[in-house]
Amino acid sequence: MLIPNRSLGRPGIVAFLAGILWCCLAGMALAHASLTAAVPPDGAVVGAPPKTLSLSFSEPVSPLVLKLILPDGQARALDGFVLRDTTLEIAAPDDLGPGTHVLTWRVVSEDGHPVAGSTIFSIGAPGTAPQAAAEAIDWPVRSALWLAKVVTYAGLCFGIGGVFAARWLIVNEGGGPRLVGAATWTGLGATVLSLGLQGLDALGAPLAGLLDPAVWKAGFATSFGATVAVLSVAFCLAVVAGRSGSAVLNRTASLAALVAGCVALALSGHASAAAPQWLTRPAVFVHALTIAIWVGALLPLASALRRDKDAGRRALGRFSRLIPFCVALLVLAGLLLAVIQVREPAALLSTAYGNVLLAKTGLLAVLFGLVAVNRWMLTGPAARGGRKAVRRLFRAVVVETLIVVAIFAVAATWRFTPPPRALAVAAAQPATVHIHSDKAMVEVTVAPGRAGPVEISAVLLGADFNPLNAKEVTFVLSNAQAGVEPMRRKAQLQTDGTWKARDVVIPLAGQWQVRIDVLVGDFELLRLQEAIEVQP
Amino acid sequence: MFKRTLATAAVLALGAGTAFAHVSLQLKEAPVGSTYRAIFQVPHGCEGKPTLTVRVQIPEGVIAVKPQPKAGWTLEKVKGAYANSYDYYGTPTSEGVKEVVWSGGNLADDEYDEFVVRAYLTKDLKAGETLYFPVVQECPDGMAERWIEIPAEGQSADDLELPAPGVKLLEAAGGH
Repeated sequence: MLIPNRSLGRPGIVAFLAGILWCCLAGMALAHASLTAAVPPDGAVVGAPPKTLSLSFSEPVSPLVLKLILPDGQARALDGFVLRDTTLEIAAPDDLGPGTHVLTWRVVSEDGHPVAGSTIFSIGAPGTAPQAAAEAIDWPVRSALWLAKVVTYAGLCFGIGGVFAARWLIVNEGGGPRLVGAATWTGLGATVLSLGLQGLDALGAPLAGLLDPAVWKAGFATSFGATVAVLSVAFCLAVVAGRSGSAVLNRTASLAALVAGCVALALSGHASAAAPQWLTRPAVFVHALTIAIWVGALLPLASALRRDKDAGRRALGRFSRLIPFCVALLVLAGLLLAVIQVREPAALLSTAYGNVLLAKTGLLAVLFGLVAVNRWMLTGPAARGGRKAVRRLFRAVVVETLIVVAIFAVAATWRFTPPPRALAVAAAQPATVHIHSDKAMVEVTVAPGRAGPVEISAVLLGADFNPLNAKEVTFVLSNAQAGVEPMRRKAQLQTDGTWKARDVVIPLAGQWQVRIDVLVGDFELLRLQEAIEVQP
Repeated sequence: MFKRTLATAAVLALGAGTAFAHVSLQLKEAPVGSTYRAIFQVPHGCEGKPTLTVRVQIPEGVIAVKPQPKAGWTLEKVKGAYANSYDYYGTPTSEGVKEVVWSGGNLADDEYDEFVVRAYLTKDLKAGETLYFPVVQECPDGMAERWIEIPAEGQSADDLELPAPGVKLLEAAGGH
């Protein structure tokens, strides 16, 4: 038997002998050291950055790769280590910050077969990788989209709503003041233009891309396409209602324009996309309809008050009887949508969407204050024909109109702020993958599908689609790109038959390999592997 | 540096003659149509825990199984029907030991032991192939080490995390 001692240990000879012996070993299966303990333990959350890290194995090992992957995804090679019997003691970098760290290792044991693995620990609390830099915002496109939206809202309310008021509330007023016609035409223009802008936004193209038909096509392909189509028809109907000679046609067309315009708004947008849609879409419609009736009446009313005192006073009477119902419905629909969209009062302050809602509510409070003053102090005297009161009422209506425009301007910024509801849905979206082999298939779900603490669950089926009874299920996660060697987590069988591993921390976003080791019987193991995408 | 470590480690491993970190068979080759002494070498427990039970699955084509009792361990032979009938010196056999279990022992993680089974390798086994004996080590708290993976077509045992110990089958010795 050959027992080399140290004095013989010249590297060349040793290597030569080893080479010969390796040849004799052809066909031999190789050794596997196994990790018996780690400090900090795998998955641990520690209060302070550790000074040393350690890995204990079932036998002495020599490290090939020792890396610490920091919360920002950077890998740091660990060079300072000593082997004490079977334990590898590693000096930790002294500048570790809070967040989740991955200690990833590849070691070689006695016979030279490398084994690899990863253990993770978090300092402070399990964290996720910092968000990637925010997407660059194309301000010209964004501003144009916003402006088009404001003009469209104004067109719908002052134009279509104005024609409706002129035809139904204020008799003998013709098609309403010129401003109503102007609002209708600019609204139509803005609506059509916003289709192209929507296309730019969808494709991420600059403003110059408006000349490209593909951009318009892309805009039409979004859910906004239907809104633009129906809204354009509504504006055309409003134009007809403002100029045709037939009274019946005028009234019908103005009513159709109003309904079509409000239906158009309910066809797209954040609020209409919220569940339950049977509730949100009608709510958006009612909200838009009542605003259009109320706001639309302002311009014709002011004009009527100024020009024809009698007709104006009669209109004012009708207006003040109708509007309280309108406003009540408006507020009700608005509140309903706000509750669905914001979900938690805290989100009013913490999200951009909530902030916009607060600003809008503030402006509304001012507007309602003004309306109340008009209603209780000016309307009565004005209706009785008080000249001064009429003048003041006219001025008040102008101010109300300006505030309404300001509200439109604020509401149009919602185009760019996803509501808390949508944010929550996006964040909680699980990542799933279906893996199929000739013996089994498995549906793996990582929830939420982003870096940080997650829950991994698996539903197992045999190749014959019947439930597969397993003795043990282990999830093995690795990320070769980030240099993370396999991390193992045992799953527990739930009463509903799924296998679940809780408190798994995925330290980094990116593409991970997820492998499921399914122990079918004492001597039968199935391995299924697939890539899964983890969001930041 | 690493190569030297590796070389030294390999030489030391062979010099010592035993150092395998997973369960392996001491005799790597055996002819079919002969009696084989399967010596299972158990080098460590489960992640630091001692081994309490060792279970060996007897593959198809291996008959006339006789495990060697061990002091301090309870021996159990799980019998059943074979998938096929095999010829044992002219007599067909279709049932016998399919699993051998040594239990009730206590082999610490930092200790080494061997478990032996004597069996007949029938001529139905193909010379040139490797015959695998899946082994499970059971430890306290439901922990286990399972050396049960058998390489698929085109794979080698090196590709596996938990390779089952195997023996290379040779042509039957002639002249009997």
